Amino acid sequence: MSVIGTIARKEVLVALRERRVLVLGAIVWVLLAVAGVTGYLVYAQQHSAIVQTQQEKRQEWLEQGDKHPHIAAHYGTYVFKPKTLLSLFDFGLDAYTGTSVYLEAHYQHEFMFRPAQDHSSLIRFGELSLALVLQVLVPLLIIFMSFHTITQERETGTLRLLISQGVTFQQITWGKLLAHGFLLLSILLPVVVGLIIMAFLSDAQAKMTDLGLRSILLIVSYTIYLFFFLMLSIWVSLRSSSGRNALLVLLSCWIILTVLMPKTVANVSERIYEIPSMREFRAAIAEDKAHGLHGKSTKSERQEKLKQRYLEEYQVDDVQQLPFNFEGISMQAGEDFGNRIYDHHQERLRQLFYRQNHLASIASLLNPFLAIRHLSMAMAGTDLHTFIHFENEVEHYRRELVRRMNHDMAQNSTYGKFFEYKAGRDLWDEIEDFTYQTPGVWQVVQYYKLELISLLAWVIVLCVLVYYSNRKMKPINE
Amino acid sequence: MLEATDLTKSYGNFTALKGLNLSVKEGEIFCLLGANGAGKSTTINLFLNFIAPSSGTAKIQSMDVSKHAQDTRQLLSYIPENLKLYPNLTGIENLDFFCGLGGRTHTKDQLEDLLIQSGLQRDFIHQRVSKYSKGMRQKVGIALARARDARVLLLDEPTSGLDPKASNEFSELLLELKNKGVATLMATHDLFRAKDTGTHIGIMKEGTLIEQFESDEVSFQDLEKLYLKHMHN
Repeated sequence: MSVIGTIARKEVLVALRERRVLVLGAIVWVLLAVAGVTGYLVYAQQHSAIVQTQQEKRQEWLEQGDKHPHIAAHYGTYVFKPKTLLSLFDFGLDAYTGTSVYLEAHYQHEFMFRPAQDHSSLIRFGELSLALVLQVLVPLLIIFMSFHTITQERETGTLRLLISQGVTFQQITWGKLLAHGFLLLSILLPVVVGLIIMAFLSDAQAKMTDLGLRSILLIVSYTIYLFFFLMLSIWVSLRSSSGRNALLVLLSCWIILTVLMPKTVANVSERIYEIPSMREFRAAIAEDKAHGLHGKSTKSERQEKLKQRYLEEYQVDDVQQLPFNFEGISMQAGEDFGNRIYDHHQERLRQLFYRQNHLASIASLLNPFLAIRHLSMAMAGTDLHTFIHFENEVEHYRRELVRRMNHDMAQNSTYGKFFEYKAGRDLWDEIEDFTYQTPGVWQVVQYYKLELISLLAWVIVLCVLVYYSNRKMKPINE
Repeated sequence: MLEATDLTKSYGNFTALKGLNLSVKEGEIFCLLGANGAGKSTTINLFLNFIAPSSGTAKIQSMDVSKHAQDTRQLLSYIPENLKLYPNLTGIENLDFFCGLGGRTHTKDQLEDLLIQSGLQRDFIHQRVSKYSKGMRQKVGIALARARDARVLLLDEPTSGLDPKASNEFSELLLELKNKGVATLMATHDLFRAKDTGTHIGIMKEGTLIEQFESDEVSFQDLEKLYLKHMHN
């Protein structure tokens, strides 16, 4: 066996006999089990509720009876963001964004069922998910497992004996890294196995075709992230004069990286790119709908203009002479105008979210915790960009539904006789049920290049630091 | 085997070792006597290349230790005043581990024999080192020197704090290694042990080797007088 292998084997044996690792590992196991089980229960409950409710809402839509298409457009329906299996691993933004939305003509309703609304501000520190345990608590386990790995050798005097055997600091360090990596893998094996099993669950594949790839990417990303903490702990241990100092430095790093900096970045980005309240957002849309964008035209002016355009195009004197119901055309025009207003405001709002996110991405270059948090959400399909993709699909579906209703109204009803026309099941059947497919992981990950760079760069930086520190190390301080 | 030429170590204005010249050949035990701060441990640390010399050279088997640290460390075994082993490993596990670092593999029986030959009681071989006395740990150190087939032994006050019986047992083990041709450099306060075990004795004071002679040249009483004379001057 190589020297590194011999050191690693000894480290594992000593760690197991000291029992500290076993106790810490047991605590992490309990936390992972609680997070996994509660995550699965929430997932299973929401998934079945969504499937059941969506079926009910679909039936309600189909069996709403005969009515005017525009009334049907207002009767509307609900759509639901399907829970992907990986969302039980990382809840991401689901708690804030909501999972269902009511669709009707003229209005873009807010998403509903946001768990964050039902919780105190403590939710900002995160619900206990598998991702949270891996991002925040496992680094703490690594710190407690490794902070004194070199300082202890120095303090107890075994370091001199090791070096006198012709062993180099590089061999000692890499042997310890190997051992602690092995111990960590043993502790986290249930998560790795769980993710792999998840990846092959056929039911989940329907909504996320690349579940296997996402699971592998999650495993790789978390491996790099935890390796960063392992390297950091060993490097600090290498450089510290005592175990106490090493622990103090590492705990300070942990608090800064996982608590202080994320909170500060969030506050700063909220301050720089202030998001309007929902009331302000709605009021601005209502104002523009009434008076046109930047107050250019009123609703009556726009309607008059539309009417004149059709009268000229069809060479008639009155809208009743048109070969279709002008009310349907007018309503669709109003819908299109409202959509343009909404898109304008929505795009401005999204730009603010994007900028906030970009600021956090830049900050992730300094903080691997932010990097893994963003990447984890992206790979689990619970990030901002995936949500926006879903939001776009929902809005597209809503617009198509309303367009079909208005088109039917224009083609089949008579001007001025609103309540005399009723559409039926044939029209409701024409509207396909809403289905959603999560975008491919590469499509989402492209937004997180800085985060990927951060994780890799930090590991490289620490490898270089460990290498050069090892070269300068002496078994005794001169 | 061991050779110091004008070996000097300074820390700023303070010189811990001044121009040391000594040589220890195969089958010799060179005992360095002196008070605390005389430069004995500095000499050992320089041969181990734990610290770098300010000037001069320390050589093991004609290799400069500062240029061939890893090669020279493969040839030696080091036992400090208080040999520290891994308390949660047994004696045999510690021995196996340290042998493995040098690329030497031994069977369990061979390791047990080495420990027993080094004076460790059989009952303690498979017990954790946390239960060992200092003397027992030093015996593991000797077993390690045997297992590594060390050609050079560097001992930094190895019998300090040992009871007379354990100290005597340790001396016997050193003589056994001496007869096998091992060159030993031992820093010690123990005049009796130096006279009893050493083939050569050097007296150090304030970083200087002020006198060196063969141990047969003096009686224990003369050695004591000589030592005290130097210490009082």
